[in-house]
Amino acid sequence: MNRTRIVNLIVIFMFLFLSLGLLNLEVIQGRRLRDLSDKNSIRLLPQIGARGKIFDREGNIIVDNKLSYDALILPQEAGQPDKALAEGARILEIGLQDLKNAFNNGYIAPSVPVVIAKNIGLKKAIALEEVKFDFPSIIIHPSPIRHYSYNSLAAHVIGYVSEIDRWRLTKLADYGYKTKDIVGFGGVEEKYDYYLRQEEGGLSVQVDHRGRFVRVLGFRQPRQGRDIELTLNLKIQKIAEQNLADRKGAVILMDPYTGEIIAMASSPNFNPSVFSDKSGYSISGLFNNPDAPLINRATSGLYPAGSVFKLIVATAALETKKLNPSTTFICQGSMNIGKQKFSCWDTHYRQNLIGAIERSCNVFFYRTGLLLGAQTIHDYAIKFGLAKPTAFELPYEASGFIPSPLWRKINKFKNWFDGDTANLSIGQGDVLVTPLQITRMMAVFANGGYLVTPYVVKAIDAKDISSYQRKITSLHFKRSTIDYIREGLRDVVLSPAGTANVLADLAVSVAGKTGTAQAPGGQPHAWFVGFFPFKNPKFVICVFLERGGPGYLSCLVAKQIIGMMIEEGLI
Amino acid sequence: MRNSYFVILIIALIIAAIGILSIYSTTYQKEGKLWQEIYKRQILWVLLGLTMFIIMSNLPYRWLWDWTYFLNAAALFFLFLVFMLGVVRLGAQRWLKIAWFNFQPSELAKLIIVIFLSRYFSRKEVYDTSLLSTKFGIFRGLILPFLFVAIPMGLIIEQPDLGSGLMILFLFIAVLYLSKLKLKYIFIFLLIMILALPLVWQILRDYQKERLLVFLNPNIDPLGAGYTVIQSKIAIGSGAIFGKGWLSGTQSQLHFLPEAHTDFIFASFAEEWGLLGSAVLLILYYLLIKQGVLIAQRTNDYFGRLLALGISLMLGIQVFINIAMNLGLAPVVGLPLPLMSYGGSCVLATFVALGILVNIDRTRAIF
Repeated sequence: MNRTRIVNLIVIFMFLFLSLGLLNLEVIQGRRLRDLSDKNSIRLLPQIGARGKIFDREGNIIVDNKLSYDALILPQEAGQPDKALAEGARILEIGLQDLKNAFNNGYIAPSVPVVIAKNIGLKKAIALEEVKFDFPSIIIHPSPIRHYSYNSLAAHVIGYVSEIDRWRLTKLADYGYKTKDIVGFGGVEEKYDYYLRQEEGGLSVQVDHRGRFVRVLGFRQPRQGRDIELTLNLKIQKIAEQNLADRKGAVILMDPYTGEIIAMASSPNFNPSVFSDKSGYSISGLFNNPDAPLINRATSGLYPAGSVFKLIVATAALETKKLNPSTTFICQGSMNIGKQKFSCWDTHYRQNLIGAIERSCNVFFYRTGLLLGAQTIHDYAIKFGLAKPTAFELPYEASGFIPSPLWRKINKFKNWFDGDTANLSIGQGDVLVTPLQITRMMAVFANGGYLVTPYVVKAIDAKDISSYQRKITSLHFKRSTIDYIREGLRDVVLSPAGTANVLADLAVSVAGKTGTAQAPGGQPHAWFVGFFPFKNPKFVICVFLERGGPGYLSCLVAKQIIGMMIEEGLI
Repeated sequence: MRNSYFVILIIALIIAAIGILSIYSTTYQKEGKLWQEIYKRQILWVLLGLTMFIIMSNLPYRWLWDWTYFLNAAALFFLFLVFMLGVVRLGAQRWLKIAWFNFQPSELAKLIIVIFLSRYFSRKEVYDTSLLSTKFGIFRGLILPFLFVAIPMGLIIEQPDLGSGLMILFLFIAVLYLSKLKLKYIFIFLLIMILALPLVWQILRDYQKERLLVFLNPNIDPLGAGYTVIQSKIAIGSGAIFGKGWLSGTQSQLHFLPEAHTDFIFASFAEEWGLLGSAVLLILYYLLIKQGVLIAQRTNDYFGRLLALGISLMLGIQVFINIAMNLGLAPVVGLPLPLMSYGGSCVLATFVALGILVNIDRTRAIF
């Protein structure tokens, strides 16, 4: 073959080779390479909207947002970032080395501003803004952060906000949550994060090979989070927290008919703003504190019920007709069950049910309990909503526990003795309840036999959701049973021998039950749970003092709270 | 006869125009008046090239036969001059500063070597006008011409300009093959070249070794030596079928693609015009080269035929290496795309070569 023709063929082959290469890149790999090209040149600069506000039932702001000023440096303008950093250090009164570290750690690309100091305060922000002419790279970026007008007020109901953690991120990534998102932890902030959460808007910009800004491609307005209105009454909440003061414990005020939580205090509490201000020292202090200030004792604390449990035994006895109003037992200060001696806190002699409630007689309830049997008591406790969460909306609610012979047999391989029944009858032994469960139990007597579901969120984005929140079930108790126990509860306050007699001189008629729950190793827990006014109850109140001593002390706190509510005309 | 003149001229001008559009697109956003007016300079070069094309197409090509040794000497002289006092740009010493422009002698040297080789292998016996090259032994057929080629080639590789050096080597092999030299000698030459490869590897500069390694696997150094190839592939691929449109190529305009207006102008073009545009461009180049081969086949004069083939192959090899390197199918060597890349010397040399080509076709008719 002619050499020229071979060369000609080689040329044709070379061009075919190039065409195939072109086809491969532009058609076969085209889509992937187009994505890479976009990735090269398109950046998103997020713009954050404001998280939804939280109001109390009267429209007072509990949590809103304030502007926090962050100092940023835009590397592409900086030229020599050292000079701008030095000026920043002078005005912010922060060590130059700290700023340099923050700058180097935060650096991503020249077009992305680096945060060198967060939450610098308005005065310093203005001072920095004034030197902007000489240092165009310094940017002051206002961003909304949580503002708590009343500091720690209702902290446990509200919760706090902080950067999303790994566990939540894996769970919520499918719902559009990203790393570094600010999300709610605990309380309404966590439960209603989806509603409170703002929708991020942003700027889509084109950058060049060194990441420098070229032009804006698009902008989406950030959407504000939805506002939430709570059932809390700020004034009552304040009174409750004020009287709980330095003691450990919880106070709950609830509407007995609807389940609206009017006040819910847990002590010790915390100031949620430390999580927004990012002061690491105080945050770790909160987590390490042995008193666990982050725990909401009202819903997540588990304690023995003590004498308040006797109301369940009384109801069970009346409902099952094991007792009638005229049945009497004699209390001689103690009784023997098997070989063990079970004592009462006093000697009450002969008394009927009302008297036993009034003076909280243990012996009466030992005998009643033995008549009923442990399983019946257990079943009635379940009816009153114990041993399971109340379906209250805030997260981390504990379920509590009521023992039963069957449970004991299956889980502990032990027999149930009459002594255990006696202990159960006065709410001791393995009984564990939350203050919220006890509040709800008392509501049954206040409202005439209905089990309510407590709730705290009244409206979202000005839309009233109460009708969805209210879940009220009738327990089908006899009217006479409820009335009879109510009478006993009133006597607890009215009768000079009643355990809560100290509340008798209030200007409002209170009914309730005290409890002194023994707990191993130390002071007993003090309970007072009641409702007022007696005729048409508006509030159920539960005062619980962890290791607070005898129930009498809880009565004192309750008295203070109710007294102040009367003073301020809140009843 | 006038046919090839206009076909070549029109194709060359279309390619040059596409080149100017692409140069404008890649540079109009850059800062500095110099960058933004660079396309005007290219227009000037193309106009100058056009003049050279017209002059060369009217100058009977046989004068090249007589002037070969002078041209050779001139090429060597300029290459030495570059070696002594050339302008260093982009880490290489390839340019001579003459008045207001930079001149790259290696572009012209390639053409001169093609002329020299064509003449060398088309000398004839005095007695019966048969070709001398058929009787060449290994010394006169291989060693002597290689020595002539090796000196300018060495100087060019030393600049360093591996691409042009390699091109000269390929041209040498191609002309050997096209001359009626015995195939045996060509195989011997190829064998020696292959055996010399390890030695050549030692001579290569670090960056050249890097580029060759990166060609084998661009991902070993995506931000360093492999960066250009990766960005070039992204640019071409992101053009897809219809391209991003003129002035809308993000890769080339936002400087992700280095040398977007010179060696990688094909990638810039493909990004904005897509598969359709690039296919048209490839066809244009093919037609241009095909014209050269056709002219060679029509020419009876042996010198003219060899020269026409040499020039066509010179263009073809350069187009092939450049586009293959843009596609990531060849290692990155500093070779411009003839007629498209920005650069006066290359544009001028190409137009001169095309002028000679046209003249070969013209002169043929005179016989």
